Amino acid sequence: MFIFTLRRLNLFIFTMLVLTLISFSLSYLFPGDPVINLSGQLNSSEEQLALLNENYHMQDNILWQYWAYIEHIIQGDLGLSMSSQSPVLNEIMILLPATIELSLVALLIAMFIGIPLGFIAAIKHNKTSDNIILSVAMFGYSIPVFWLGLLAILFFSIGLGWLPSAGRISLLFEIDIITGVLFFDILLSDSPDKWQAFQDATTHIILPACVVALAPATIFIRLARASMIEVLETSYIKAVKAKGLSFKQIIFRHALRNALIKIIRHVGLQFANLVTIAMVTEVIFSWPGIGRWLIESIYQRDYTAIQSGLLVLSCFIFIVHILTDFIYAALNPLARGNKHGS
Amino acid sequence: MNLLDIRNLSIELKTKNQNILAVDRVSLSMKEGEVRGLVGESGSGKSLLAQAIIGVLDDKWHVHADRFHWRGIDLLRLDIEERKSILCRDIAMIFQEPMASLDPTTTIGEQLAEAIDSKQLSGFFWQKQQQRKEAVIRLLHKVGIKKHIQCIRSYPHQLTEAICQRVMIAIALASRPVLLIADEPTAAMESTNQGQIFRLLASLNQLKNMSILLISHDLENITHWTNTITVMYSGQFVEAGTTEQIFNKPLHPYTRALVDSSPKANLQLPSKSRLMTLPGSIPILQHLPIGCRLGPRCPRAQRACVEAPKVQNYHGHKVSCHFSLKDTY
Repeated sequence: MFIFTLRRLNLFIFTMLVLTLISFSLSYLFPGDPVINLSGQLNSSEEQLALLNENYHMQDNILWQYWAYIEHIIQGDLGLSMSSQSPVLNEIMILLPATIELSLVALLIAMFIGIPLGFIAAIKHNKTSDNIILSVAMFGYSIPVFWLGLLAILFFSIGLGWLPSAGRISLLFEIDIITGVLFFDILLSDSPDKWQAFQDATTHIILPACVVALAPATIFIRLARASMIEVLETSYIKAVKAKGLSFKQIIFRHALRNALIKIIRHVGLQFANLVTIAMVTEVIFSWPGIGRWLIESIYQRDYTAIQSGLLVLSCFIFIVHILTDFIYAALNPLARGNKHGS
Repeated sequence: MNLLDIRNLSIELKTKNQNILAVDRVSLSMKEGEVRGLVGESGSGKSLLAQAIIGVLDDKWHVHADRFHWRGIDLLRLDIEERKSILCRDIAMIFQEPMASLDPTTTIGEQLAEAIDSKQLSGFFWQKQQQRKEAVIRLLHKVGIKKHIQCIRSYPHQLTEAICQRVMIAIALASRPVLLIADEPTAAMESTNQGQIFRLLASLNQLKNMSILLISHDLENITHWTNTITVMYSGQFVEAGTTEQIFNKPLHPYTRALVDSSPKANLQLPSKSRLMTLPGSIPILQHLPIGCRLGPRCPRAQRACVEAPKVQNYHGHKVSCHFSLKDTY
C-alpha cells in the first residue's frame, strides 16, 4: 500500500511538472512581454520592470526562467490579475472552493442516481424498465447543458418559483469566509440564523448541481448497466447461485462490489468532463466559481489569470483522479498488494 | 429407488432466427452412492446438462423434461421455489475453472461461511459467528487444506488452481449434499493435482456415501474413478453402462471410437502407427445433422440413421444406435 501511494505521488509530481511547463510556455505564446504575462504587472515603471526581469531570470536561458517560474509557484506567487491587479492566488482561493462544492455535489448526485438506476436496468435486462431507463439516459445525454440550464431556470425559478436562479446564497446572509466551502462556513459561523442560511444555500445549489449532474448521470447509468450485465454472466455468480443464496444476497454480497470496481475508474475519468460542464453552468447560474472567472478572464485577455487558472483547475482534477484510484484499490484486492509475474 | 432419474431432457436455445436443440432428449439416472461419469467431446452438452439439473442456466435456455425425479419426488410437479430449495439443499456443483468460480473480491473465509446453512448451527445468535468460523475451518481440513488461517484470509487470486478447486469442493460440502456434480474439476490442472482432486472425491464418495456425477472429456482418465458411465455426443445420448461394459464391450460406434483412440486400449498397436480416429469433427450448433447426429462421421451409418434411434436396453447397458455392435461380440 505504501508503494502504491508513493507511485501515485510520483505520478502527481511529474504530471504537475508537465502542466507547469505548458502554462510557462503560454507566457511566450500569448502576445506581449513574457515577464508581464507571468507577473501580470501592467503599469510598472522602468525600475520595477528591471526588478521583475531580475526575479524571473529573464536574461538567463530558458531553463533558468522555467526554474524561476516554478520557484514563484511554490512560494504561492501566481502573479497579479491583469484586470483587477490583485493577486491571482487570493482570487482563486475564494473562487475554487465554490467550484469544488458545485462539482462534488453534482458528482454525488450523478453517482447516487446514475449507478443504482444502471444496476436496476441490468437486473431487469431486456424488460420494460430496462428499456425505459436506457431511453431516458439516451435522452438526457443528448440535451445540451446551456439549454437545459436555461430551461431549468425558466421552469423551476420563474414558472414555479420553487428554487432561486442565481448565486450561492441570498445576499441577506452575511457569512465570513473561513474555508471557502459555503456549507462549512455556515456551520462554523456564529450567526443566529445559520440554519436559515444553510437552507438557503441548499436551495441555491440544487438547481445548478442537478443541471451539471445530468450528463454524467446518464453516462454512469450506461456504465453501471454494462458492468452489471457483465458481472451477472460470470461463472462465479453461477457458482453462488448453485450455493443456494437468494437473489438479493447474490446482488448485495457479490455482484455489487464487482460491478462497482469496473465503474469507479470511469468516475475519475468523467470528472474532467463534469468540471467542464460545471464551468458553463456557472456562467448560466452566476455561480461565483473559478469556471465563470476563467471564462471572463479569457474575454478580458487576462493572461496571468488564464495561466494560473488552468494550472489550479487541472491540479484539482488530477487530485480527484488519484482519490478515485485509492477508492478503486480499497474495493479491489487485485489492485492493491504487489503482483508477481504479471 | 434411483437417486436421480431424468428422462428425455431437452435444452433448447431460442434465438430470433431459429431454435437450436442443444441437448436432445437425454436420459440419466443415478443410484445412491454411485460415481457416474458423463463423457463427451467439448460442445457435446455435458456442462449444459449439469447446469440444467442444478438450475443455474440463463433465461435464454429453455429446459424441458418428461421426467425429473429426485429421491422419488417428482420435481416437475413442484413450483420453481420449492424445486430450487430441494435442489440447493441436496445437490452441489463444482465448476470447470475454480479460480473464475470464486468471487475475486471476497475472501475465501467469507465465501465459505455464507455457504453454511444457519440451520446447521445451534445456539444463540452471538454464538453463531464463532460456530460458523469453526465450521469453515473443519471444512477446510476435510478437503486437505492444513494452513486454514492463511487460506481464510486470502483472496482467490492469491491461491493456486488446485487449492481453489479444493475450496470449491469445501463450499460444495458445506451444505452436506447427497449428490456432487463435478464439471471437469481438473481441467487446466497439472497431473499431480488432478490425482489429488480425484482421490479426494473418491474418498468423499466412500466415507460419506456421496454420489458423484463426474463430467469429463477424457474417457480413459475417469474410468479409474467411476462405477458407471454415460456417453454423450453433440447433445444426444449415446450409451450408458457400467465402466467395464463401456470400456470392454462398447456397443455404439462412437464409444468404440473413443475407446480405440486412447493409447492404453491399444497397447498391441505397433509403435509410431496412427491411432484410430473418426473423420471430421463435432458439428457446430447452427448446423446439426438430422436423426442420429453422429451420422456423417459414423463408420456404420446407413440410410436408417436419418431418423433418431430408440434407446435399447441390454441388461442395463443402454445404447442408442440402429446398428449397434452387439452382434460383433
